[in-house]
Amino acid sequence: MADAVLTLEAARIQSARGVRARRIADRMATGLLWAAALSVLAMLVLFMGYILYLGASAISWQFLTSPPSEVSAGGGIGPEIYNSFYILIMTLAFTAPIAISAGIYLQEYAQPGFFRTLVQFSAESLATVPSIVMGLFGLLIFVYLLGWRFSAIGGALTLTILNLPALMRVTQEALSTVPRTYREASMALGATRWATIRRIVLPSAIGPLTTGIVLIAGRIFGETAALIYTAGVSVAAGKGAYDLNPFRPAETLAVHVWYTHAESVVPDVARIGNGSALVLLVMVLLFNVFARVVGRFLTRRFTGKA
Amino acid sequence: MVEIPGAVTVKVDVEDLNVYYGAFHAMKNAQLRVSERRVTALIGPSGCGKSTFLRALNRMHDLTPGARVTGSVSLDGMNIYDPSVDPVVVRHRIGMVFQRPNPFPKTIFENAVYGPRVHGEGNRAKLMAIAEKSLRRAALWDEVKDRLFKSALDLSGGQQQRLCIARVLAVEPEVILMDEPASALDPIATSKIEDLIGELKRDYTVIIVTHSMQQAARISDRTAFFLLGELIEVGTTSDIFTRPTDKRTEDYITGRYG
Repeated sequence: MADAVLTLEAARIQSARGVRARRIADRMATGLLWAAALSVLAMLVLFMGYILYLGASAISWQFLTSPPSEVSAGGGIGPEIYNSFYILIMTLAFTAPIAISAGIYLQEYAQPGFFRTLVQFSAESLATVPSIVMGLFGLLIFVYLLGWRFSAIGGALTLTILNLPALMRVTQEALSTVPRTYREASMALGATRWATIRRIVLPSAIGPLTTGIVLIAGRIFGETAALIYTAGVSVAAGKGAYDLNPFRPAETLAVHVWYTHAESVVPDVARIGNGSALVLLVMVLLFNVFARVVGRFLTRRFTGKA
Repeated sequence: MVEIPGAVTVKVDVEDLNVYYGAFHAMKNAQLRVSERRVTALIGPSGCGKSTFLRALNRMHDLTPGARVTGSVSLDGMNIYDPSVDPVVVRHRIGMVFQRPNPFPKTIFENAVYGPRVHGEGNRAKLMAIAEKSLRRAALWDEVKDRLFKSALDLSGGQQQRLCIARVLAVEPEVILMDEPASALDPIATSKIEDLIGELKRDYTVIIVTHSMQQAARISDRTAFFLLGELIEVGTTSDIFTRPTDKRTEDYITGRYG
C-alpha cells in the first residue's frame, strides 16, 4: 500500500516535470511560427517600400497616358497599360470556359481510371513547362506558322495554354471544398447531376473559384517571358495603339519593364523601369484585394450566409 | 419471412439484395417486404450493413465509385434497378433524410422548395405555398416563418434536420428513408423528430435506420435486425423485442452484443 502511494507521488512529480517541458516546447513553437509569419510580412513591406520609393517620382498623369519613346527621354506607358488589360481579358475569355468545364468534368463526372489519369497527367506536365519555352512555342505556331507576326491574339493564346492547367486545378480545388453531403442531398431529392452542379455545387464553390480566377488574372497580368516573342515588344504608333484589332503587336506593361532595361536606348531607362514596376505591382495588388472582396461578396450572395 | 397481415399492402419489396464495395460484400442476399404507411426500423450494431441496405433503396450507391448492387428492389411492383428506370425518378418517389442535418447553404425558403424547383416549378406563389405546407408538416413553420429568407445554416441542429425533412416532403415522395436522423441531435430535438415520424406515417411509408433500440421500440411498427451484412430477422416490433426467434437477435436485444 505504502509502495503504491509512493509510486503515485513519483508519477505526479514526473508528470509535473513533463507538463513544464511541454509548455516550454509549446511556447517555443508558437514563437517560431509567429516569427516566420512576421518575416513574410516584413519582406513584403520592405519589397513594396523599395519599389514605391524608387517608382513614386516617375509617376505622373503624363507618364501613365503617353506612348513610349524609342530614343529620347520622356516616354510613357499608356499603350502598355491598355495592352496588359486587353490581353488579360482575351486570355481569360479563352481560358475560363475550357479550364472551368474541364475542371468540373474531372471533379464531378470522371470516374477514377485511365482517361482521368491521362488528363491530370497532361495538365500537370503542361503546368511545369517554363513560360519562356511556351513563348517560343507561341513564336513557332502563331508568329511563323500561322503568319500572324507579333500579335495581341498570339500572346493571349500562348497565355491561354500556359494558364489552362492552373485554372483547371483552381476549379477542381474550389469544387472539392463543397461537402459531399450537399451533392447527396440534392441527388436524393431527385435532381440530376447537372442540376446539382448548377444549383448547389457551383454556387457553393463560387467564392474560392472567383478568388482563384482573379489570382490567376494577376499572374497573367504580370507574365513576361511568354509574351516577348508572341505579343512583341512594340506598340502601334498614335491612335492605333489603343484599338481592338487583335492582330497588332501589343507590348504589355510587364514586357515593357523587361524591354526598357534589356534593350532600350532611351536615356531615362531607370525612371521608366521603376515607374512601370510600381504600376505593375499596384495593379497586381489590386487584383488580390479585388479577389478577396468579390469572392466574399459572391459567397454571401449565393449561399444566403449573413 | 414473417407474413404481412392481409390489410396492409407491400410498398417496397426487396429480393436477393447484394451490395459490394469493391471486393467487400457488404450486404448478403437480403429479403424484406416493407408495408405501406408503416414505420419500419432497421437496427443492428455499427457496421452491420443497415445503412448500406437503406441506401440501396433509392439507388444512392450509384453515386459511390466502386459500389455494386445486385438483386431487386420493387416499388409498387416496379424494380428500381431495371435498366429502363431513371434513378432521378426513383429518388423523386423515395426521399431520404441523412444522419447529419445537411441543409444547403441557402435560405430556409430555398431549401424547402429546392426539390420542386429542380423539377421545374418556377411560380413564386406556388413555391411559397409548397414551402409553407412542407414546413408546417415538418413542424417547423412557426419557428421559421419570420425568417424564411435567412440562411438555413443559422438554425439549430434539430431545426436543420426538420428543414431537411420539410425539403423531402416538398417533393411529395411516397417513401421516406431516414438514416439515423436523430443521432446528431439532443434529446429534446430527438423527441420532436420522433413525434414527427409518428405523424408522417399516416401518409408516408417510413424506413428508418437507428442505432437506438429504444427509439426503434418507440416509433416503429416493424423491425428488421441486421448483423455482419445479413438481414437476420424481421417482424413486428413487439415480436422482435419480446420474443425474437433467432438467437443472434435475442443476444443483441438483451445487450449481449457490442
